[in-house]
Amino acid sequence: MTDALVSHHAFLCPLCGANIHDKELKPGEELHCGRCGETLRRLHHGDPSHLLWALATTGLILWILANVYPILTFDVAGNTQSNLILTGVLGLINQGYWPVALLVFICSIAAPAVHLGCLWYVAGACCTGRRFPMVQRVAHAAKEIAPWSLVPVFMIACFVAVVKLDMLGTVYWDSGILWISLLSICSLAIAQLVDRQWIAKRMKELT
Amino acid sequence: MTDATRLELSRALVVAGLILYVPANTLPVMIMTVAGDVAPLTVMGGVQELYDSGLAPVAAVVFVASIMIPFLKLISLSWLMLMHGSGDLLRERTTLLRVLHQIGTWSMVDIFLLGVLVAVGQLGILASVEAQAGGLFFAAVLLCSLFAADLYQPRMIWQPAMP
Repeated sequence: MTDALVSHHAFLCPLCGANIHDKELKPGEELHCGRCGETLRRLHHGDPSHLLWALATTGLILWILANVYPILTFDVAGNTQSNLILTGVLGLINQGYWPVALLVFICSIAAPAVHLGCLWYVAGACCTGRRFPMVQRVAHAAKEIAPWSLVPVFMIACFVAVVKLDMLGTVYWDSGILWISLLSICSLAIAQLVDRQWIAKRMKELT
Repeated sequence: MTDATRLELSRALVVAGLILYVPANTLPVMIMTVAGDVAPLTVMGGVQELYDSGLAPVAAVVFVASIMIPFLKLISLSWLMLMHGSGDLLRERTTLLRVLHQIGTWSMVDIFLLGVLVAVGQLGILASVEAQAGGLFFAAVLLCSLFAADLYQPRMIWQPAMP
């Protein structure tokens, strides 16, 4: 809304220092630096905060389901073993490989939850237009943790694991893999939607 | 953190990553025992096994994600470090650094795969999966290249040469 009201003026590209002539954007348009290609400004179709809040809520619910239901069941001669995401972490700790276990725990369990939780809080503040306590710090935390949230990569690993185990015994899909896949789609959609500059601007407008 | 420190740390991490890349690919990542058949698997061994079973597309995915991407990432980062301070190919280098940020995380597939296999490989004598030292080195390579790419920021490419 306020984006369209910005008057024509020049500023420096924060990345390469080139002179940029600001211009009015139509919804959906982006302003790029002509020298280094950095995205400087973007005007959204309407207000994305409601959609972001809805996706973050969905993501949090899917995260719970993905962690509670088993991913797959492996069957060798009638003996079965099914696993949660957490089972792998515990298995690695039991074998003494706790640094690897920690990495798996952070990237597939902790970071997705923290990232979704932070976005949920920030989007909630944007929706209501109120300055929730520490909302700026939470927005910063969301930005910092985002690269560590690797659910889509975990999903690919699950599919590869099924293929690999199928050569050795019988593998059955469990519902967990469905929730992990849906959570992946949800987090990819969120990654497309999140615009840090827009969030930073909204944070300043909150009363 | 000053840019000079960032550059120094980033260089150190790339060199560490290149060194660790060797044990990460030569030591076995896991030992799979199925029905008494013991098979130590390196990252490449896992790819080979998938390929031999006629699963070429899956083998290709694992090969690209866990062997090519970490290697290309380390090589590209080394090149960026060497080019630092030069005024050539500024835009291309910026784009390369952005791409490295995007693709780097896909190498984590192998670590997650290890996690999933260890979880279901707890059937005692029938089927067991044991993590091996290769996994540690592999994780270390990933972390080195991840932090190196994170410390070296696009804006540093555009700044005048530093000592």
